[in-house]
Amino acid sequence: MDFAFSGDQQLLKNAARAFLDERCTSAVVRGLWDDPRGESEAMWKDMAQLGWLGLSLPEAYGGSGLGMVETAILLDEMGRAAYPGPYLPTVLAAHAVDSAGTTEQKNRWLPAIATGGARATTAFVDADLAWDPQSTATRAEKVGAGWRLSGAKQFVAWAHVADVLLVPARTPDGVTLFLVEPAAAGLTMKPVTAIDMGTRWAALTLDGVTVGADAILGAPGNGERLVWELLRRAAVAAAAEMLGAARRCLDMSVGYAKVREQFGQPIGSFQAIRHKCAEMLLSVENSHAAVYYAAWALDAKAEDAALAASVAKSYVSEAARHVCGEAIQVHGGIGFTWEYDLHLYMKRAKALEPMYGDADWHREQILRLVPA
Amino acid sequence: MDLRYSPDDLAFRDATRRWFEANVPTTELKTLGERREWHRTLFDGGFVGMGWPREYGGQDARALRQAIVADEMARVNAPPTINGLGIGIVGPTIIHHGTEAQKQRYLKKILAADELWCQLYSEPNAGSDLASLRTRAEDKGDHFEVNGQKIWTSYGAISDWGLLLARTDTSVAKHRGISCFLINIHQPGVDVRPLKQVTGNQEFCEVFMTGARVEKSDLVGRLGQGWEIAQTTLSYERGGNSLARVTRYTSAFHELVKATRALRRAGRPLIDDPLVRAKLGRIYAELEVQRYAALRVLSALDKGEGPGAASSITKLSYSEFEKRYFELALEILGPYGQVTAGLPEQLSTRVSASSGHGETWAYAYLWSRAGTIYSGSSEIQKNVIGERVLGLPKETRADRVK
Repeated sequence: MDFAFSGDQQLLKNAARAFLDERCTSAVVRGLWDDPRGESEAMWKDMAQLGWLGLSLPEAYGGSGLGMVETAILLDEMGRAAYPGPYLPTVLAAHAVDSAGTTEQKNRWLPAIATGGARATTAFVDADLAWDPQSTATRAEKVGAGWRLSGAKQFVAWAHVADVLLVPARTPDGVTLFLVEPAAAGLTMKPVTAIDMGTRWAALTLDGVTVGADAILGAPGNGERLVWELLRRAAVAAAAEMLGAARRCLDMSVGYAKVREQFGQPIGSFQAIRHKCAEMLLSVENSHAAVYYAAWALDAKAEDAALAASVAKSYVSEAARHVCGEAIQVHGGIGFTWEYDLHLYMKRAKALEPMYGDADWHREQILRLVPA
Repeated sequence: MDLRYSPDDLAFRDATRRWFEANVPTTELKTLGERREWHRTLFDGGFVGMGWPREYGGQDARALRQAIVADEMARVNAPPTINGLGIGIVGPTIIHHGTEAQKQRYLKKILAADELWCQLYSEPNAGSDLASLRTRAEDKGDHFEVNGQKIWTSYGAISDWGLLLARTDTSVAKHRGISCFLINIHQPGVDVRPLKQVTGNQEFCEVFMTGARVEKSDLVGRLGQGWEIAQTTLSYERGGNSLARVTRYTSAFHELVKATRALRRAGRPLIDDPLVRAKLGRIYAELEVQRYAALRVLSALDKGEGPGAASSITKLSYSEFEKRYFELALEILGPYGQVTAGLPEQLSTRVSASSGHGETWAYAYLWSRAGTIYSGSSEIQKNVIGERVLGLPKETRADRVK
């Protein structure tokens, strides 16, 4: 029994930290916030070179065959850097193709994703923002050999750069996942501007989008099981990124409390500040335990994997928001300025908080999963 | 990272589980004699002082093996060993700092619970600021004479011996003038009075020492080394039992869910109320996070990495959680949660607080207030975390020599 990272996992973490420290500085992040596309093609190619994009894909498709723990390590570091780009939605969609796709679908998308040639995303929620797949309102009707999709999807991350979108829709066989390409007729995207400019969302309208029979991921009617599986991975992935953002805010707060002087002494010597920092550390360390336990449980196919994913997302959603907010309080006025970097990380954590199920939604899942 | 137990550890866990299922007492242990007998059964089973070195009657057992035993005990709600402080704190202190004669004289009797021990540290005016303690031990040539008052002495009423901190030098800085002793409780100069707590129970005592005698040979370590020794004994109290504690919380959670199925409000079972569900879900998530964190600490301990100051994070985390947990439980149960006797059968529960004591929600709720005070209050833990884990500057203190 060993909770610590293995040697290889630690090397991956160190490499990720070094790469992002150099290539994804806050100046770069701010530049991309102002960029219409919002992400860097060069950084994406370099991440492919480093093996990050195929990290958890099979070697046969150009991947490294690693697991959720390694993916979480990268996302943790990306949260720390407030990395702007479609890494999370791309690896999530790639996992779906790997897990349920036909050989043709895998050949078409997985090597392209692993080499940085394609990006992907998932369009889980309809207008009512319900994450459980039973609530899917978008419909797919059989038309000839293919299907026609109608509906609206909300808060689709990085849709404007995606080469393929995973769209759950209701068919007579039940909820089914469709691979939809952005050029499809009848598909329109409207960008949504929100507080974290390093996370780009879009609202999708599917107005009779026609796709072939080969657009179905796997088999018709298997969408509910697949969406649940994806949501668990997404929950852990988002929690990992929130953890990184929270730890960055903690580190900045502790650093600041050591040097900022008021009343003739560093503010970190006051219990009002020191105790706040201690509480922030407690939340961050508990979040670390939650994220990596859940990631390990998914990799190990542990009995409590689904439960652990919901525990991680519900706990870290609130913990990260709390830590990032307290960081602003520790900094005082400077922490409230646009110029100071704190808000980059605080906004990243906030953006992920409602995604893939918020804390309350996951608490309900927990209660359904608790062994009675 | 791999959180599975090894085949050897799994086999040990299964054997341990079988042993406890076969041997756990089926009726409540009421008398001291019954509790001592259970302790000896545990001792003969090889479950007492497992972490102690072999040469002193232990097994040099890894942290994981100790945690497995504690966890299996919690699972069947087994009564604890009777000499917890002797085995957890006094024994290790004597092993680390004691003389050969002290080891020979005391250790075996601690393991077998032939002699029960308490810790004589806190005083009415020395709580968080323990180093300001005033109990004096004066060198009388052939012995030390002790005068002073101790408080919050767990198990004082059943103890035979005490691990004592007393001031031996008033002319030096307060941390340096304290020494550590072993004192016999059964003597005319020692008066032990039970202290009734908010729970209504009397786990704690006040101990008055008036001209009490300590043999010269019962000084532990050097004169003036008491504070340093106390720092190491305090750290034995943190981190090791966290898995078993979570198992107790989990058992209580299942009792809570059972109660919300039995209780009805507005024509439906309480468990169908979305507000109640949100609270239950929050508790269970936090409880699981405590478990994951416990596994993380345990994995470090098992590799021989001492948790050091980071054990303050564990203590702060579980004790603050425990308060939130039982507050939410009592919110859900309403006035039923406060009932101390005669609770309807379907609501009654074998809830034990982290201490392993008590059988009611009311007791667990009241006891949870103790956790953030004993063994260093939450405020002290946050100071330790701030200074020694995060490296924040120390505060200016009026009693600190500049």
